[in-house]
Amino acid sequence: MEFYGYPRPQDQFGVRNHVLVIPTSRCNIAATRIAQYVYGTTTVITSGEIGRPSRDRERLGRLLIGLGQNPNTYATIVLGVRRGFGYRELEPYRIAEEIAQAGKPVIVLTVEEAGGLERLVELGIEAARRLVADASKVRRELVPASYLTIGVKCGLSDGTSGIAGNPAFGNATDRLIAAGGTAIFSETVEIIGAEHDLAARCVDPRDAARLLEMAAEVENAAKMTGEDIRTINPLPSNIAAGISTLEEKSLGAVAKAGTMPIQGVLEYACRPKKRGLHFMDGWMSSFSLPMSLAAAGCQVTIYQLGGEDLPSNDPPMMATNTSVVAPLMMITGNPRTEAKAPRSIDFSSGKIITGEWSVSQAGEELLQKIISVASGELVKGETIRYTDPLEPFFLGPVF
Amino acid sequence: MIFQALQLHKDDNVATMIVEGEAGQVIAVKTPEDSLSLALVSRVPYCHKAALHPIEAGEIIVKYGKPIGRATKAIPAGAHVHVANIEGMRGRGDLARGGGC
Repeated sequence: MEFYGYPRPQDQFGVRNHVLVIPTSRCNIAATRIAQYVYGTTTVITSGEIGRPSRDRERLGRLLIGLGQNPNTYATIVLGVRRGFGYRELEPYRIAEEIAQAGKPVIVLTVEEAGGLERLVELGIEAARRLVADASKVRRELVPASYLTIGVKCGLSDGTSGIAGNPAFGNATDRLIAAGGTAIFSETVEIIGAEHDLAARCVDPRDAARLLEMAAEVENAAKMTGEDIRTINPLPSNIAAGISTLEEKSLGAVAKAGTMPIQGVLEYACRPKKRGLHFMDGWMSSFSLPMSLAAAGCQVTIYQLGGEDLPSNDPPMMATNTSVVAPLMMITGNPRTEAKAPRSIDFSSGKIITGEWSVSQAGEELLQKIISVASGELVKGETIRYTDPLEPFFLGPVF
Repeated sequence: MIFQALQLHKDDNVATMIVEGEAGQVIAVKTPEDSLSLALVSRVPYCHKAALHPIEAGEIIVKYGKPIGRATKAIPAGAHVHVANIEGMRGRGDLARGGGC
């Protein structure tokens, strides 16, 4: 099993060839202008670090660095106010130095050195145009699937998610891992009720302990709200589509993790140190998790959708291009979702529900599709130039 | 054989509908090893769950062979099993709240 990837330093291969524009403090406006103007660029617009404790500033920094280091990124332009400005964690030269560890081109441009914000935009456009032209000279090469890391989120879960969509993805994951590849799943709140099964699959007992601790932390946080978690998650859409409790949602959700041993349990936005299956602490929001998986090194991200509660004709999808540097494939296991959202769904395993496919057949077909996307086939979301708002997984509080 | 619902694990006391189920309808349920027939006593929408046998108040609801919650009232066989008659057992901040003023 092989895919066509862009060679990168340090024995890595990208499935896309982006120039990433990273804004630090106050530079969202400049990054937006540059990314709109220059073909082949992408950017990451968040609410930033102001008034956040160091653990959250560190998370934002890790996210930005991870996106720059992702193999899909050819080069990065970091925008900042001036050298030394703001919190240490988001200081522009510090972000750039960390990204440069991946051996790829990184440029820092600051408002002060440029001589003003609008001059920064001009310099950014100039640099970005040069870098995308350089990027276009890189040729894809046929490489083993062991160079591929995929990440998954499930969403708008319904009664099909735990029967078709997630098991099909789990089967594709098993196949990729058997071929030497890597997969990351997350959504800590949605392992509650299934955490002991997952802990038992951890290769390292320290990882098992950390996974149980992550689940306990989020459950305690839920209790602190004074609300039944069922009024928060499962979402109203999940309940309308037949999911009655968080435990039911979780047990369906973890089917996406397949059956392989868990090689590592990762903190938020941290890269795996080994190949194989990994769990990462993360917030399930489609505005947050896809880019967080990309920051952890995933070259392809997958949104496994139930979707029964969506309206019947061309519904809005729950996430559009929120992986920043990685394609976000929309897949479903619900044949009715497939029928009502043909403009958005990239792959359906709905034939499991209709009895035409086994889970194993669906997994094989899905992995072929993932390999094709890795080799350059655009997912539907990539054919439009719009990105939903992005929000890192912050722990809070704010001050 | 055409099935209208799936029992996912042999220990499950609920089955998931893969068609819209109407009260009075007798459905074929695919079980892990065989099949069974079930008379629905209420409407059970696509993707939702039906009770495979009578469930007592307080009894654990089992799906995927694992507990997904607890019955808050008696549920007859063939009835819709959902938020009106079962509750979650995890993340219950509403139960954790103590005292007050």
